[in-house]
Amino acid sequence: MGRMSEAPKPDGKALERFRIVMLPHLDAAYGFARWLTRDPVEAQDVAQEAMLRALRYFHAFRGEEARPWLLRIVRNTWSDMRLTRRGERVPLDEAESVVDVGPDPEQSALAGDRRRQIAAALAALPEESREVLVLREIEELSYKHIAAILDLPIGTIMSRLSRAREKLAVELGGRLGKE
Amino acid sequence: MDCPTCEAMVESYLDSELPAGESARFEAALAECPECRGKLERLQAQRALIRDLPAARAPDLLRARIERELRVDTPVPVSAPRVWPRRTALAASLLLALGVGWIGGRFVGREGSRETDELIAGYLRVGLGDRPVEVASSDQHTVKPWFAGRIDYAPPVYDLTASGFPLLGGRVDVLDGRRVAVLVYRRNQHRVALSLWPASTAGNVAPQVSERDGFAIARWRHAGFELRAVADLAPKDMSLFASAVDQAIDGSR
Repeated sequence: MGRMSEAPKPDGKALERFRIVMLPHLDAAYGFARWLTRDPVEAQDVAQEAMLRALRYFHAFRGEEARPWLLRIVRNTWSDMRLTRRGERVPLDEAESVVDVGPDPEQSALAGDRRRQIAAALAALPEESREVLVLREIEELSYKHIAAILDLPIGTIMSRLSRAREKLAVELGGRLGKE
Repeated sequence: MDCPTCEAMVESYLDSELPAGESARFEAALAECPECRGKLERLQAQRALIRDLPAARAPDLLRARIERELRVDTPVPVSAPRVWPRRTALAASLLLALGVGWIGGRFVGREGSRETDELIAGYLRVGLGDRPVEVASSDQHTVKPWFAGRIDYAPPVYDLTASGFPLLGGRVDVLDGRRVAVLVYRRNQHRVALSLWPASTAGNVAPQVSERDGFAIARWRHAGFELRAVADLAPKDMSLFASAVDQAIDGSR
């Protein structure tokens, strides 16, 4: 796995700035990686590598919004790592592993089960649909930011999002027994 | 506004992507168009379902690793011996902070066992410390004798490279008040810590793997030894590891 050691190492001041600007988005980076990989362990690897890349390229960060900037790196990291790992990849086996849904004493078992079904429906979508839905509905990013993260025109984001919502409705209908 | 026009705007409206003027025009049109109202309501309901999912939280080990990178990346010549005490102190304070967080937050209560806390703390020393092992060798004939005089039993030590878990070395840790041998293996870029000590009860117990926040913990008894393994691995990989250990022990007898 390339560690980009050729890129300049940030100095102490840049590290401190990185800690303030980027580190708060680690949860988002991990969450997005988890939806991309559909595997909590692999998601940790992707998120870790993405944070390291973000650190190496932090000098290129020009004060735009940090979270989309970081999520774009997560997406690129996953694209790179997936190529080298294809042989090891195990197809989605347990949808529960995508999201920690329980046990939560505040939630009824029924609500936990429903969340599991929703997570499974989202996880079952093709990547093209899954990533755009996660960025829009979970990360609540604008079309403009999503377009930048996925490196696509806004029109493509809109049509993918629309298709993704239709597909999710079908998946949810099948799982929750509605529609 | 006819229905195809307002239908084309439903999603942009839902996503707050319409300019203010358009938005008002759409709302006016929506009042007259039950179909588009229905579509909007379905999309809102779907959104509510997705947003009901719990937010992801980066596992503590991941956070700790990144914290470590933020320190190690400090431009200090790594080869200079003087940096060691500083880095060790930082690692120790990090461990302490983590340990408190863990014990306070999660591990007591669910399993409640001090052993689990100690296993995790031991694993963090392996996973985060500047010295993950006290004897670094992939040669079992180097690692095994190293334990002589450090603990009061001779642990079985095998390199498991053939099974995909190369031996990195060993260390001594304290578990439940006694000194135990810890063997450290590698799986891709993950480390596995295997603690083992003579069993006080006869008979084998098959490995049981539990998972906690990205860690897999295996417990079993085999060939007269109690074995505990901790790693940030998927449970299935942990099961593979436990089987590899058992096979190596059995194969040598």
